[in-house]
Amino acid sequence: MPADPSANAAFMWTAYAAVAVILGGYGLALWRRARRLGR
Amino acid sequence: MTPEAERARVVVRRGLALVAIGLLALGAVFVVALRFTPIERFQGLPQKIFYVHVPAAWCALLAFTVVGIASILYLWLRDARLDLFAESAASAGLVFSTVMLTTGPLWGKPIWGTWWTWDARLTFTLFLFFLFLGYRALRGALHDPGERARYSAVVGILGMVLVPFVHLTVYLFPTVHPQPIVLKPSSPSLPWEMLRTLLLSLTAYTVLLIGFVTTRYGLGRGAEARGELDAG
Repeated sequence: MPADPSANAAFMWTAYAAVAVILGGYGLALWRRARRLGR
Repeated sequence: MTPEAERARVVVRRGLALVAIGLLALGAVFVVALRFTPIERFQGLPQKIFYVHVPAAWCALLAFTVVGIASILYLWLRDARLDLFAESAASAGLVFSTVMLTTGPLWGKPIWGTWWTWDARLTFTLFLFFLFLGYRALRGALHDPGERARYSAVVGILGMVLVPFVHLTVYLFPTVHPQPIVLKPSSPSLPWEMLRTLLLSLTAYTVLLIGFVTTRYGLGRGAEARGELDAG
């Protein structure tokens, strides 16, 4: 474990941000495709 | 609008509702994990990646198992809907694999001191990810629907065969990757506050998985109803 606590926090925040971007992004992509289908 | 297209729209709407619920639940998981779950004594803050990494692995392996089962059923029943369902599950599986392969190194670096190591669990997981990328590429390369469904069903079944190996690698070749602390023969070795957060996260991720697969399947059915040859 790195001695610097802020480095530890950075790994954690990056992971949570990546999860939000990947899962939220895929959800958004599906929603946009559904809107195109609805037209 | 044809009845088939209307049915597809209903499926898409239900799928999107599940995706919305899943994303809201995921937001709640973030709050509970970051604010209301104790910090693990030895690993510190990076251990909180556990709550978003393990459910991603669970969903990826579940999705790839569903691909295999739907593929077996397709080869047996020759129903094109099963092929579409397998493809929808494969796409969702790839999304959750991406989460797993992104959060894993972000956890590994501060704890193991390296982003990646060729440990059996990691290597098998990467193979599985590449196998399903190949599945997607194969579907894109074949234009005859029957041929595409048949060949991709075989690849989907081979992918499913890898799933138990991925789970068992930590017992067969124990190196750096930790062994399961929940899905194991004895009771979970986690304090309740941590287990509660993990279970909440597993629920949110599973709802998202079902939402992704349902929406994607509905979109495929809609595209078919509109006469588009390639629903992918």
